[in-house]
Amino acid sequence: MTGFELPIALFLLCNLIVALLAAARGPTAADRMLMALLFGSTGTGVLVLLAYSGVGRMLVDVALLLALLAAIGGIAFARRAWQRGHDD
Amino acid sequence: MIEILSVVLQIAGAFFYFAGTLGLLRFPDVYSRLHALAKADNLGLGCVLIGLALQAESVAVALKLLLIWPLALAASAGVSYAIARRADSLGVVPWCKEKH
Amino acid sequence: MIPGLILRCLLFAVLWWVLAEGHIDDLWLGVVAVMTATWASAVLMPPVAHRLRLIKMPGFVLFFLRNSIRGGFQVAMMALRGRAALQPGVLELQLNLPEGGPRVLMTSVIGLMPGTLSVELAEDRLRVHVLDERLSLAAEVGELEARISALFGVGL
Repeated sequence: MTGFELPIALFLLCNLIVALLAAARGPTAADRMLMALLFGSTGTGVLVLLAYSGVGRMLVDVALLLALLAAIGGIAFARRAWQRGHDD
Repeated sequence: MIEILSVVLQIAGAFFYFAGTLGLLRFPDVYSRLHALAKADNLGLGCVLIGLALQAESVAVALKLLLIWPLALAASAGVSYAIARRADSLGVVPWCKEKH
Repeated sequence: MIPGLILRCLLFAVLWWVLAEGHIDDLWLGVVAVMTATWASAVLMPPVAHRLRLIKMPGFVLFFLRNSIRGGFQVAMMALRGRAALQPGVLELQLNLPEGGPRVLMTSVIGLMPGTLSVELAEDRLRVHVLDERLSLAAEVGELEARISALFGVGL
């Protein structure tokens, strides 16, 4: 704990909110899908920083689980794209 | 010394997250936004994780933090390909300079 | 088959040690988890045709790390400069890698390399979106392809 974790976590949270709003605005459906990416990267970043800011180390496990779910989701997403081939 | 390095890495991480969000706001189409988010945010996460791992009290605790990174990378790689593929099949034309 | 399973078992044991943060007081739980994981991996993912060559792994990981750091840095600088820094384009590549794992890995990893992003993989043609078509990315993509083929122990 260096004292910087909490401010940086808050900074990332602001980033996440701005990015979510920007992604939600679109303009295309594909832009809105960017929100899925944001939770995987920024969400885990906020969680690990909070874990080391003195809130409780168990948040590292939460971050790990979030990253694992994001990875499974990402691979499932991509597999659908591969298997569909040319038909869409 | 290690504390300073840890703080520097955390700040560097925050900078890359910020750049990713900036790219999301400023880049013209979904493809270039994907570049910004997938690459800059993951580098940001990597910096933050290494910075925090420096503070860990044992090797296993540090490795547990670092384990998050490949998972987040796999997520980004899969999701960004799926989104680009979807955008392409929806007929989103990549932005190009000449037209503007 | 058997050496492969022993290796997996070892990897799962290390994973358990990391997840338990080095505590070994609930060792029996770890043994059960490692055994179950090995069994599940043997059932769900039997040792396959394109086996990774572990000896090539550290080199690949270093190459990947170096380039993803470069990629993150480059795109961050472009974001600071705004869209004036961009000159996007689409490249069409001919992949020489065999079907399955190697092509899938190539398609995924390209998205984390400097300036490139996979748009569509159809058979052996890969369409890639690039942030700046003035950069010569063909050589870099070629190196990635060579690294992946070495990793899987297949010729191009």
